[in-house]
Amino acid sequence: MDDHLIQVFSNVGMISFIALSAYVLLLTGEISFGQQAFFAISAYASGIATAMWGWAFWPGLVWGAAVAGAAAFLLAWPTLRMRGLYFAIGTLAFAEMVRLIFEIFRYQVEIEGELVGPDGSEGFRGIRYIFESDISATQYMLIIYLLLSAVLAFLFAIERTRLGAIFRMLGEDELLAEMQGVNRTYYKVMATVIAGVIAGIGGALYAHMNTYIEPKIFNVMLGVHSLAYGLIGGLGTAFGPLIGVGLDIGLLESTRIFTGYRMVVFGGLVALLLIFRPRGLLDEAAVHAIKSLWRRFLPAAQTQRSNNRAPD
Amino acid sequence: MAVLEINDIVTAYGKIEALKGVSLSVAEGKITCLLGPNGAGKTTLMMTISGILKPQRGAIRFNGQDLAGKPARTVVGQGVALVPENRLVFPEMTVEENLKAGAYLRRDAGKVPSDIASVYERFPRLQERREQYAGTLSGGEQQMLAISRALMARPKLLLMDEPSLGLAPLIVEDIFRIVRELNNEGTTIFLVEQNAHMALQVAHHFYLIEQGKIVFDGSPDEMEEDEVIKRAYLGSKV
Repeated sequence: MDDHLIQVFSNVGMISFIALSAYVLLLTGEISFGQQAFFAISAYASGIATAMWGWAFWPGLVWGAAVAGAAAFLLAWPTLRMRGLYFAIGTLAFAEMVRLIFEIFRYQVEIEGELVGPDGSEGFRGIRYIFESDISATQYMLIIYLLLSAVLAFLFAIERTRLGAIFRMLGEDELLAEMQGVNRTYYKVMATVIAGVIAGIGGALYAHMNTYIEPKIFNVMLGVHSLAYGLIGGLGTAFGPLIGVGLDIGLLESTRIFTGYRMVVFGGLVALLLIFRPRGLLDEAAVHAIKSLWRRFLPAAQTQRSNNRAPD
Repeated sequence: MAVLEINDIVTAYGKIEALKGVSLSVAEGKITCLLGPNGAGKTTLMMTISGILKPQRGAIRFNGQDLAGKPARTVVGQGVALVPENRLVFPEMTVEENLKAGAYLRRDAGKVPSDIASVYERFPRLQERREQYAGTLSGGEQQMLAISRALMARPKLLLMDEPSLGLAPLIVEDIFRIVRELNNEGTTIFLVEQNAHMALQVAHHFYLIEQGKIVFDGSPDEMEEDEVIKRAYLGSKV
């Protein structure tokens, strides 16, 4: 694989975390324009831990994700009573607030004669742990996809358990869910924290791949994209947002041949897609159809297996 | 014996009091019906009993337990299930998923499948459509599903908020047949209705609510003899 392709795949992987983060909230019926805030918080927190405090990469990543989760926990309370558009605006305001705080956030220490640490709008240079530990780009890409698989496995596990059913109930009708006995506050805070941690993992990975982060990377467009991935890919399963990321970055890369008209072609393709698949590529109906197809073939496979076992 | 006793309940939306001191009681094993025009506070009362709205003051006693101001999960846990008005089902969940949602607080998960089976026995249409999204069902089927979902909680008291609303007359007959059936099987029912004619065929006791206050309390016979009710709710021909 050439370097460019590795970089593209690594980017797809990292952006997938923020797409999945927005997806968790979409499941519970909330549209957040602010998941980039948790991506940013963890990027800074993990970068500070490895570059300034001398932590290793893994503890740094866990710390970053934990700080993002804690921030999400704090945000969950004021936004709990907000619904729909108000939640979207509330999360957007929060994310912009976080970004503007990083614009003025200075915390630097001298390491080997060099000032290291966040320097307001100048950004945060020297998050070099990965390069100093001789981890190659390919290895780092594998780390990204390993963590992404873990998050995906976690989300699939959730979908199959009671918790998944609760999230979907809340997503469809909060009040009706409450009437069934669901503790709305508890589960909404839980979803917000899970979403924050997932975005945080992506943020920590991002900071360490790029070695340099600055506040303007984490602007509202990142949040808009992270939402769009779920909507383009479909919300039937956690694969939807991933398909959205792959499609988005794949289209962006493959429309390079259109040079100046690239974004026009790209926008047109996204618009076409949403005209033909308004609920995304892998929407609930598609997932439902695939599942029932699967179930039709599965009994045949099972009887065959039991037939094979019979002679024992 | 009264299983549900409501005493001087006041519930307000901001400064506007929708319930201005409502008191009533629901007898065990009976069908009690609350009649009243739009905006009288019927749904507000149902929401207050089920813990979605918090009353400003007053007491709600269910089997001696005080439920006023308790969250919905406590109320459901005590055995009070609501069939809400209008927002009937989870539209993008299948029929079966909706039924399972109703059993959310049940600790005896092992008995849920047999309860689902008995729901299907009562409503064969729901079995035919068990894999279908609830939002694609007809209005009557959605009402049946909403009732079934409430039954999945194995309630001691079933609250029904205008189950006949917006349904065709034949289906309304069906719904009331089911209400009577459930009652015969031992479920206490507190019914909110605007359809006084249908309610007269099933209910054992009536209350009339107007502008947040109970203005009538009596048996079906007493109600049929009340001149004001006759004119306003039963039509002049009765």
